Amino acid sequence: MGKKRLERLAIHLVLVAGGMLMVFPFLWMVSTSLKYPDEVFSYPPRWFPSKPNWGNYINAWNSAPFGRFFLNSVLTSGAVTLAQLVTCSTAAFAFARMRFPGREALFVAFLGTMMIPHQVTMIPNYIILSKLGWIDTYYALIVPFTAGAFGIFLLRQFFLTIPKELEDAATIDGCSYLRFLVSIMLPLSRPALSALALFTFMREWNSYTWPLIVTNSTNMRTLQVGLRFFISQEGGNLGHLLMAASMIATVPVLIVFFLAQEQLIEAMTATGLKG
Amino acid sequence: MSRRMVKALLLVVLLTVAAGFLGIAEGKGEEVIRLSFWYSLGGTSGKVVQSLVGKFNETHKTIQVEGVYCGGYAEVFQKVSAALAAKTPPDVAQIGGAPLLATTGAIVKLQDVISKDKTFDKSDIWDVFWEYNSFEDEIWTMPFNNSTPILYYNKDMFQAAGLDPGKPPKTWDELISMAKVLTKDTNNDGRIDQWGLNTHSDTHWYLTAMILQNGGKIVDSKATRVLFDGPEGVQALQLWSDLVHVHKVMPAGGHMDAITDFTVGKLAMFLRSSATLKTIEEGAKFKVGVAGMPAMKEKAMTIGGASLVLFKTGDKREEAAWEFIKWMTSPESVAYLNQETGYIPIRKSVLTLPSQKAFYASRPNAEVSARQAESAKVVLFPELGWSDEEMRKAVEAVELKKADPKIALQAAAGAVQKAMDERLGKK
Repeated sequence: MGKKRLERLAIHLVLVAGGMLMVFPFLWMVSTSLKYPDEVFSYPPRWFPSKPNWGNYINAWNSAPFGRFFLNSVLTSGAVTLAQLVTCSTAAFAFARMRFPGREALFVAFLGTMMIPHQVTMIPNYIILSKLGWIDTYYALIVPFTAGAFGIFLLRQFFLTIPKELEDAATIDGCSYLRFLVSIMLPLSRPALSALALFTFMREWNSYTWPLIVTNSTNMRTLQVGLRFFISQEGGNLGHLLMAASMIATVPVLIVFFLAQEQLIEAMTATGLKG
Repeated sequence: MSRRMVKALLLVVLLTVAAGFLGIAEGKGEEVIRLSFWYSLGGTSGKVVQSLVGKFNETHKTIQVEGVYCGGYAEVFQKVSAALAAKTPPDVAQIGGAPLLATTGAIVKLQDVISKDKTFDKSDIWDVFWEYNSFEDEIWTMPFNNSTPILYYNKDMFQAAGLDPGKPPKTWDELISMAKVLTKDTNNDGRIDQWGLNTHSDTHWYLTAMILQNGGKIVDSKATRVLFDGPEGVQALQLWSDLVHVHKVMPAGGHMDAITDFTVGKLAMFLRSSATLKTIEEGAKFKVGVAGMPAMKEKAMTIGGASLVLFKTGDKREEAAWEFIKWMTSPESVAYLNQETGYIPIRKSVLTLPSQKAFYASRPNAEVSARQAESAKVVLFPELGWSDEEMRKAVEAVELKKADPKIALQAAAGAVQKAMDERLGKK
C-alpha cells in the first residue's frame, strides 16, 4: 500500500510539473494583462503586477470595437462548426455505410484535398467570392468552410467502429438511413462529434489570414484580426493591452474546451484502445 | 425526420441570414466619394495613422476615407495581391517595396500625376525618397513612413564606464573599443551581464548598411547580378563575426531580446530603426543617447519603411485619392508623424517649421535621427525580400559558428542570384 502511494505521488509530481509548464504561458498572459506599461518589460521580470490594473481590460476593449469583433467571431465560428457537424456527419455516413459506385475513389479524392495547402486555394477562393459579391460579408467568412475532408475522415472512421448489426436490426424494423443516422449513429458518436466540434471551433476562432483578406470594414473584422491592432511594424507594441485583449479572446475557446473536454477524453481513450 | 437535425439546419440558416443582414446594415454614401485606404501600421504608430485619417475626414466634406488596418507589410501585400487578382483593389494602400508594383499594371504612375499638379512641389522631398519610390527611373509611388537604422546608447552606462556621454562612436573602430569598455561581468560569475553592443532582429538591414559603408554594393544598377558577396561584403560580415567571437562584445543570436535588454539596462549600445525612438525614450529609465550608425570607409545609411500607392480606380476616384495622398504627406502631416513615432521627415521644409523646431529643442535625439536622410542610400530590387532573408541566415550561421563569413555570404548570394536568374529568364 505504502509503495503504491509513493508511486502515485511520484507520478502526480511529474504530471503537476508538466501541467505547470503547459499553463505557464497562459498565467504569464494573465499577469501581463494586469500590469502597468512600465512593468511589462521590467527587469528582473515581475511575476505579479504591483497592483492589478483592471483598467487595461477596459482600455483594450475600448481601443477598438471589440464587442463587434467578438460577435463576429462567435457568429462565424459557431455557424461553421454547426454546418460542419451536419455536412461531415451525413457525408461520413455515406462513405461508411452506403454502397455506391466510385465510393472508394471519391473518398480518396476527398482525402487528397487535405494535402493542398491553404495558401494555394486562397487566391482562387478570393476571386470566386469576389465574383459572387461576397467580399466583406459574413458569407465570405462562413461558406467556404462549411465542409471539410478532415471532419468527414474523422467521423467515417468512427462510424466504421459501430457494429453493423445495429443497422441490420434497425433496417428490419423499417428504419430509414436518415433515421438511423440521427437516432442511433449520432448519439453513439458523441465523442467524435465533440472532438470535431472542438477542432473546428478552435480553428475558425483562431483563423487570421483569411478573415484579414476577405474583410475590409471594421464591422466585419474578427477578434484575431482585431488583436493585430496592438502590434506595430517598427514602433512600439502595446504589450499590456495586447495581453488583456488576448485574454478576452481566449475565454470562449476555454468555455468550449471545458464543455467538450469530457467527451474529448472519451474519444481519445476510445480510439487509443482500438490501436 | 429528426427534430434535432432540423433544428441544427435551421440554426445554420438563421445565423447566415442574420449575418447577411448585419452586413447590409452598413450604410452606403450619396454624393460623397468614399475611399478605402489599407494601411499597415499597428500599435502606437497605428494610432497616429488613424488620427491623420480622422483629421482628413473632418476637413474634407466631399471625400471620406475609410482607413482599414491590414496587419504588417507582408500581410497588406497578401491582401493587395488577392484584391488585384479579383480586380478589386483599394483606392490607396500603404505598402513596403511599393514601386515594384509597377509591373502589375494596376497602379497609377505618380510621375504623371505630379507633373500635371502645379500645386505640388516635388523638390521639397529629399531625392533619396523619390529614388526609393522609383521603378526604372520613373516615380510610381509616394514616400510616406521611412526610417533608417540609428545607434541608441545608454548615457548613464557611458558615464559609469568613464566614457563621454556626449561623444558616441563615429567609426567602427571607436565602436569596438567603446563596446569593449562597456561589456562587463558585474558579479564575476564568468558570464557577461552587460553587453557592449547588439542589434535588433532585422540583422540584414545593419549588414547591408555596413556593406555600403565599406564601399560595397548589394546588386548592380540593373539588378541582374548579386554583388554583396564581394570582398567588401565579406569584410563587413567578418567584422560582425569578430564582434561576437574575437572582441566578445555582442551576444550570439540574441537579437530578439536586445530591445528588452536595452530598456532594462543590460545593453549599452543598440542598433535599431529610428521609428522606435519614441517607444525607447518612453520605456527607458536612463538617459538615452542617439547617433547615426558609425561609419566605415564612408557614411552610408539604408532606409526602410513603406509608401502610399495609388491604384487605378477611374479618374474621379483617383483624383480624390491623390488629394488624400497629398494631405497625408503635407509638411504638417509629416511633422506630426515624425513627432509621434520617429519615422524621419521626408520633407526638407519640415525641419524649419516652428513647431518642429520647438519639438527638436525638447527632443534633440529626434533631430539626430531626422538628419540621417542626408546620407541614406536606396537598395531596392525585386528579390529584396529574399535577399534580406538570406542575409539574416548568413549572419546567424556566422554568429553560431556554423560557417565562416565568406562561405556563408557566398551561399546567400548564390540563392538570391538563382532567383534573379529565374526572373530574368522569364522576361
